[in-house]
Amino acid sequence: MRHATGLAIALALLLRGPDAGSQTPRRVVRVSAERFAFTPSQIVVDAGEEIEMRVSSDDTAHGFHIAGTSVNVVIPKRGRGEVSVTFRAPEPGRYVFECTRMCGAGHHFMRGELLVRNPSANQSRK
Amino acid sequence: MTTQNMKFGSSICIWLLLTSSAALAQPAISEGPTSATGPISGYMDFHFNKGEAEDGVLDFHRFVLIVNHSFTPRIRFVAELELEHAFIEGLEESGELELEQAYVDFLLTRSFNVRAGMLLVPMGIINERHEPPVYMGVERPFVDTVIIPTTWFENGAGLFGEIGRGFRYRAYVMAPLNALEFSADEGIRNGRQKGSRSDVRNVAYTGRVEWVGVPGLTLGASAWSGKSSFLAPRLDVQVRVGEADVRYRRNRLEVRGEFAQVWIDDAERLNLTAGQLTGVSPNIARQLRGFYAEGAYRVWQRGPGRDLVGFARYENFDTQFRMPSGFIPLKQFDRDAWIAGAAYFPDPDIAVKVDYVWQRSLSTVVIAPNGFNIGIGWWF
Repeated sequence: MRHATGLAIALALLLRGPDAGSQTPRRVVRVSAERFAFTPSQIVVDAGEEIEMRVSSDDTAHGFHIAGTSVNVVIPKRGRGEVSVTFRAPEPGRYVFECTRMCGAGHHFMRGELLVRNPSANQSRK
Repeated sequence: MTTQNMKFGSSICIWLLLTSSAALAQPAISEGPTSATGPISGYMDFHFNKGEAEDGVLDFHRFVLIVNHSFTPRIRFVAELELEHAFIEGLEESGELELEQAYVDFLLTRSFNVRAGMLLVPMGIINERHEPPVYMGVERPFVDTVIIPTTWFENGAGLFGEIGRGFRYRAYVMAPLNALEFSADEGIRNGRQKGSRSDVRNVAYTGRVEWVGVPGLTLGASAWSGKSSFLAPRLDVQVRVGEADVRYRRNRLEVRGEFAQVWIDDAERLNLTAGQLTGVSPNIARQLRGFYAEGAYRVWQRGPGRDLVGFARYENFDTQFRMPSGFIPLKQFDRDAWIAGAAYFPDPDIAVKVDYVWQRSLSTVVIAPNGFNIGIGWWF
């Protein structure tokens, strides 16, 4: 009976995944969109970090897409709340994020950068 | 303003407000995070203008369609086709059909991207940001009309990008202005070649730097320089335009300001040459200057994205700020204006606008007319 209980606990721990027990807090990043800029336009995160982006608009509806990731959402118009998207930061590198919904004459200026750092490299620098 | 025209203007205003309010009074329709949009975007601008001692005019001022296409994620195309004043008739002054933008972007890095085709000159607040819901007033500011000739577009190519810490830039080489078309009252406006077989014996260089490092704040500075006398080879008319602007929004308040100045070298010979060609001296200045300051306050907010904004703007603009020697400035071109009004947004993409313009000039002979305007503009 004791063996069966131990086995069940071990199985449950395995099924919970590798980050169970090492609950790193989810990082919330707020981004504001307005013709024709994102603020901030550069976001720095660590690889593997869980990110929750809360994006709102100060005017019309915009798109928010991070190239190379599955993040691709519509930001509602001003006064209609924000869109929240949660994802795990990908491999270290530079990822462009951009508006994907035509928003005016300067639509293509509306871009930014997600800079993903290697956390171990950062620690070694410290 | 006659009683009849006043009644007509008031009727339009009431009708617009009732229509937009009635639409909002309908039971809430479930909608997604945003309204639907198709492959074509654009904006429209429909106005009623009533100048003092003039008949009222109903004008479908702008009908603009924007199309875009991505060849690849890094190579994209955008075009903006504009029909002004609803109707075009050959050889008569009526409407205009303009290709205001048609370019291909090659998106390389955050700081370095290439653009070529028909481009907007990166100058001032309005020229690149002219959708009706984003500015106050039925008509665009005077400074952005007679000092900076919006919408100012031309063939060219150049670079753009963001260089970190909130700094963004555009730098283009473009076709120049045609100085022989400059005028006393509208400055360099009629000198735009508008990308129609533009003469590029000389070229112009233009650029803009913006800082958007603080939420709600945009600081910008723009410059343009080009030899503009290609039709008269012995002239050497270098034209330079300098501009600085600020926009700041915090909670319900938004303020903006702009200063622009134009320098025209060799304006004396330009006047003499133009006078010989046409028989009339255009009396073109060697410097033009204009500035404005505007405050807008969101006085009422109700429901999702429904707002009423009140605003006031002061403008000072002089298309004969400094004259070449031997030429006298006409006082009627030294003008200023107060514009006060309101904009109701039944949706963030629709603006129902009302304003009144008090215009003055230093002339006691030629009186600048006051005016009453109503408009509805929308982006889709």
